[in-house]
Amino acid sequence: MKGNTWFINMAASICMVAVHGVAFASDAALNFAAPSSSYYTGDIRSYVLASADSDTALGQSKLAASVAPAEFEPPLWTTSNAHKYLGLGTLAMVVATVLAPKPGECEKGPCPAVVDTSGPHKTFGQAAATLAAATAVSGFMFHWNDIHMEDGWTDPDNLHALLGTAGALLMMAAVNSAPAGGHAGEGMLGGIAMGAAIKITW
Amino acid sequence: MKKRLNIGALFAAALLLGSGPAAAEESFEGWLLNFQRTKEVKPVSNKRYQEECGSCHYAYPAGLLPAKSWEKLLTAEALKKHFGDNAELDAATLQSVRDYVLENSADKSWYKRSRKIARATAEGEAPLRITEVSYIKRVHRDIPEAKIKGNKNVKSLSYCDKCHMQADKGVFDDDTVRIPSQD
Repeated sequence: MKGNTWFINMAASICMVAVHGVAFASDAALNFAAPSSSYYTGDIRSYVLASADSDTALGQSKLAASVAPAEFEPPLWTTSNAHKYLGLGTLAMVVATVLAPKPGECEKGPCPAVVDTSGPHKTFGQAAATLAAATAVSGFMFHWNDIHMEDGWTDPDNLHALLGTAGALLMMAAVNSAPAGGHAGEGMLGGIAMGAAIKITW
Repeated sequence: MKKRLNIGALFAAALLLGSGPAAAEESFEGWLLNFQRTKEVKPVSNKRYQEECGSCHYAYPAGLLPAKSWEKLLTAEALKKHFGDNAELDAATLQSVRDYVLENSADKSWYKRSRKIARATAEGEAPLRITEVSYIKRVHRDIPEAKIKGNKNVKSLSYCDKCHMQADKGVFDDDTVRIPSQD
């Protein structure tokens, strides 16, 4: 069972990395010529700006020239969307963790003396923490420029970053301290912080 | 088991509450219990405003400026010299347009980008141009001049809809930006 959980977590991590790769690849394939663009200076912000530059897109493909503004459809896979889906996935895993049967829950006796901690609750909890960490990392990578301390902590993006990071840390702490008592509180608080972070910028 | 069902029922109830067309930006409770996206700026929803202002320029969503700016911009006297043009409106139309923008200004809105604009303009003089809002200046500062002023298909940051492909929907995020070619 332990090996199975490890395998699931590894598979989830690989999927997340792949999703980010697709997001980058999608931007690049559609409208970005990084090596030739004078606006690309190596950071994420200039990458986004260069992606929006029709001149560089035309240099790569004539496809962009035929796209009239009225026909504009935002790309499905972008770095922003990848961050959004990771966050929503985290919330889904938090809900699944709460609803999943806890190890040691015994409604009909006789109950076993030694509790096996493996099971869906543990798997969902670990997945939630992993996704939360990936969400926080992707947020700092792709939305770093939205965070401005001079706007104060009540700025929606600053608050989003603060609560999201706190939520991810609390979830990781919960997984780390499980199955000891108190980990449920940490996990729930982490989930609430993550939910609030999402709501603030939803 | 019962506890789990209760949690599930609460979650479902919250989703149901939020799925309705709740008044997203009218109150904190309305915003909190609403699951509609309010990440950007509320799009223009007033036909008269759209017609009167949009006939000459892009009809800027009211949430792009704070109330104190709209109060200065939309007076009979100010409209006689509206950025070099006479944009006078009859009294009834002016009142209607003014009421609409004041009700939906950045500092009255729960939409995220409007909240950021409201914070950025909370202190100091009321900006009379969208391009004078410090937040808007900041998010555009990395764009080379050649792509805006030097681009005959854009000319100025004030032509939001030249690059923001979904500006009419109040969406101004990076994913919907396409800077027009200079050809």
